[in-house]
Amino acid sequence: MRPVMIWRVARKEILSTLRDTRAIVSNLLIPLVLMPVVMLGMPLLLGGLFEREATNITPIGVVGMSNLPAEFVAVLEAQNVELVPVDDGVTAVQNGDVDVVIGVTEPLAVALAGNGSGTISIYSKQGNMKSELDASKVQQAVAIFQQQVVALRLVDAGLDPSVLQPLQVQNVDASTAAERSSGQFSWLIPFFIAIWTLTGGQMTAVDATAGEKERGTLEVLLVAPVRRTEVVVGKFLATLTFGLSAALMAIVGFLIGGALLSAVFLPRLGDQGAEIVSMMGGGLNVNLLSIVVLVISALLLAALVAAVLIGISLFARSFKEAQSYIAPLSFVFIIPVVLLQFKDLIGLGNEAYLIPVFNVLLLMDDVVRGVVDPGRLALVWGSMLVLILLLLGFAHRNFQREEVIFRS
Amino acid sequence: MSALIDVRNLSKSFGKVKAVDDVSFSVAAGEVYGLLGPNGAGKTTTLRVLATLLKPDSGGATVAGHDVLKAPEAVRASIGVVNGGMGLYDRLTGREILYYFGRLYDLEEQQIERRIAELDDLLDLRDTLTRRAGGFSTGMAQKIVIARAVLHDPPVIFFDEATSGLDVVARRAVVDFVRDYPSKGRAVVYSTHVMSEVEELCDRASIIYRGRKIAEDSVDELKRSNGSNSIEEAFFRLVSRVDMGHEEVR
Repeated sequence: MRPVMIWRVARKEILSTLRDTRAIVSNLLIPLVLMPVVMLGMPLLLGGLFEREATNITPIGVVGMSNLPAEFVAVLEAQNVELVPVDDGVTAVQNGDVDVVIGVTEPLAVALAGNGSGTISIYSKQGNMKSELDASKVQQAVAIFQQQVVALRLVDAGLDPSVLQPLQVQNVDASTAAERSSGQFSWLIPFFIAIWTLTGGQMTAVDATAGEKERGTLEVLLVAPVRRTEVVVGKFLATLTFGLSAALMAIVGFLIGGALLSAVFLPRLGDQGAEIVSMMGGGLNVNLLSIVVLVISALLLAALVAAVLIGISLFARSFKEAQSYIAPLSFVFIIPVVLLQFKDLIGLGNEAYLIPVFNVLLLMDDVVRGVVDPGRLALVWGSMLVLILLLLGFAHRNFQREEVIFRS
Repeated sequence: MSALIDVRNLSKSFGKVKAVDDVSFSVAAGEVYGLLGPNGAGKTTTLRVLATLLKPDSGGATVAGHDVLKAPEAVRASIGVVNGGMGLYDRLTGREILYYFGRLYDLEEQQIERRIAELDDLLDLRDTLTRRAGGFSTGMAQKIVIARAVLHDPPVIFFDEATSGLDVVARRAVVDFVRDYPSKGRAVVYSTHVMSEVEELCDRASIIYRGRKIAEDSVDELKRSNGSNSIEEAFFRLVSRVDMGHEEVR
């Protein structure tokens, strides 16, 4: 292999992709813009909705208004609820007049007198988000009112209300500082690298292989005195370049989104804010060595994805065939991420560090938790390298096969 | 006579189909050699073996003194290939495409510039050099395809149905190029099913039919020996003779 030839092949593919405005927009600009939009948009939208629900005066239907004691009405109204008399609970909810109806068939004050008990019916549409949200307001009011009644009864009986809670529970977090600050979301970065390398490298990979077959440029390239390994490696490097750029853009977008998120929401949240930041992995404290390990692992992951892309699209006969092979791949990369969430339950041994993609996620997770085992590190990097070489070998072999090159 | 191309008993099958069946010929320096035959006769397969893209089942060939099996890279460095279905990179300009291939042939920048200037004179490349290939007409594209094939000044050039799919003007440009391209020390193999092109361009030709070489001679001699006025007439006489023989064998 002559590096200068590899570079000449790669350079042409990079130039060709750079000239493809559609590819550049969808591969580089969209992740940059999409990440902050999703990160800010969801909490803004949902937060706004929930906030409105909490402050808005909600109409609640009541069957038997006169049966409600004044104390209960006061508690309900403190929940921003407006009581509306209705005739029948079920019909009022079904007709959509109100989302929730309280039904009381006997005067509650009478029923509760002398330590007696009464019944309150709550009519709501289960499975309807708005109805359930309103019902929860009523349930909360019922709970508060209940506590008031119980407290009064205890006082009447000459007991302190604390007799109902003989045990106090204290939760103590026994994880290390590194574990605490590692964050539940530390898998996000490797996930972005896998997914965006796949999306970002796709155009170049398909264009440089199946695209060359379809356009009728492959034959003349193979007639040139450039070696096929050089062609494969050059095209692989170009794919990796665009895959990594897309991943980098997504990470930059993620960081911008995170910065905006903390600027917009954290002041509102106060103490809780710091906790959320560390949960998101914002409080990561990793040393230089860890960063080197993380970067190398990320590069290997991106290289693996690029090698898969080249292998598959060289095997395909046309653009369409290549794309139909690549489309389901993103699911393949989501599975290990989902699996990672349950790793504490599964109880993983060394074998797990041989599962492609999953092993990189595990290793990166170990790094941010500060518990890297050199043997496992060697296992992950070694197996990744072997796999990448195997995939490039597969691509190269396809290049030699007459029936793959000439689709007649 | 020094043969630049020497093909010996070449055979190549795809599954049960014998695409090339025991074909031999040789082409000397300065010669334009025609491979004449209908589509599917085995011309393309023969040329692909000579271009080291396919491996023969048996037999062999040398191109510019290099064995296609033992020194494929040396063979590739000595040949240029033009065929009808060849495409270009849509998002690169003509000049960029020529540079890319020039660099793959390990030419220096000045060498590439000099060759582009020479080929511009010969092929009238003009604005194909500065425009992106995505907007080329078939004629413009074919000029760059030819320029790309001969950029490194190879001693052996293969034309395989190079005029198929071209309009009258573009076809003329290809034929003119083959006729006018300085052929001293060079061997050209011109494969086509268009008889008139063979008559106009080729010094000698062989007729390929069903994977076999059924005749070989100078164009004039092919006509004369078959009592024909045109190469087309000669072709059909030869082919019908083979078909009759074919029936007998059955």
